[in-house]
Amino acid sequence: MTSKRTRNLGILVSLAAGLLLTGRLSAHHGAAGLYDTTKSVMMKGTITKFEWTNPHNQIYFDVKDDKGNVVHWIVATEPPQVMLERGWTRRSLKEGDQVMVYAFIASNGAPVGNLQRIVLPDGKELTAR
Amino acid sequence: MRSRALIPAIALMATMIFSLVLRAQNTAPARPPAGPPPGNTSKVADLSGDWAPDPKRGGIGQSLSLSDISGRQRGKEEDIPYLPWAREKTLSERSSTGPDLGFANTTDPQVLYCEPPGVPHIYLWPIKTKLVQTPEAVYILHELGPYFRVVWLNSKHPEDPDPQWWGHSIGWYENDNTLVVDTIGFNDKTWLDQVGHPHTEQLHLIERYRRVDKNTMELDMTIDDPGAYTKPWNARRNFILSTTGFLRYQQICSVRENQRFFDNLAKPAIKK
Repeated sequence: MTSKRTRNLGILVSLAAGLLLTGRLSAHHGAAGLYDTTKSVMMKGTITKFEWTNPHNQIYFDVKDDKGNVVHWIVATEPPQVMLERGWTRRSLKEGDQVMVYAFIASNGAPVGNLQRIVLPDGKELTAR
Repeated sequence: MRSRALIPAIALMATMIFSLVLRAQNTAPARPPAGPPPGNTSKVADLSGDWAPDPKRGGIGQSLSLSDISGRQRGKEEDIPYLPWAREKTLSERSSTGPDLGFANTTDPQVLYCEPPGVPHIYLWPIKTKLVQTPEAVYILHELGPYFRVVWLNSKHPEDPDPQWWGHSIGWYENDNTLVVDTIGFNDKTWLDQVGHPHTEQLHLIERYRRVDKNTMELDMTIDDPGAYTKPWNARRNFILSTTGFLRYQQICSVRENQRFFDNLAKPAIKK
């Protein structure tokens, strides 16, 4: 009965909790090679959604690439209870905010990553690590 | 050539036999639970507050080893007196975090199955803890789960406790500033920390919660498990007072939320 579904669930939960707990060591080890943790990439974008949720908050934002095409990005933060300690709330970001996002992004070029810090429209900066 | 090839096999067999012998020699019941020292007249220690892992002193860490909190020396820590089988078991595990993390194939049962992490593993999570002190018991509450433990004061362990995830805990105060928690009756399904240190049902855990000052609490632990380690060893976690409030947000293990996170953040990054 150890089905493929069970195994997939294991993989899923492992990944989720792994990313959740990389925490302070993430600067050294990152997300098991999924993200390039050697450099933080800056992107100017517009917030489209902010999900305050386990296992990680998710920030959705749009960025225009070199050709003017809109790319839909998603980056994760630590879980809500950790971000609360760092001064965040579920209202820290809202749809339409023009922001500068600094993140470790996927090594394979996918528009996903781990947030490091974000600069809000009023210049206020929130750190994620 | 053939005899040369046999050498590793013989060495492996010898190691396994040696390990089994040592394990057999160390399967005596855990030592009787300690009780308060004779004539103990300690006042009730004030442990009130919402306690978060101290980011400046270890943070959440990965390993209980005091010499290797990052878990980089797993299996080689100088302060963990492994029995051979326990060292081999530790090295065979695949962590979900730390230097050897492997999301896709971790063997951490707490991560793999959303099972309770047990104690002390729960103190390696980025969550807050709260101690509710009453005359009969101290209730230790965790943001993860949310799980809780009951530490019975002025009490004794049952003669033959059923092995359980959180064991059976009794406690008392010492030196006017310390809560001592003595726990036996664990099952053997949990890891001691994030990097896979095992334990058996013989685990006897002694925790000492001490408020150092208004904003700081230290937890010193003695891990006494003759089924897995040759002698008791020590670990410590440090806490600071949180200003955001206990359980402002609950750390729930939800398959549905994990699935969404996986689909959004991980799956795209895995694709070649």
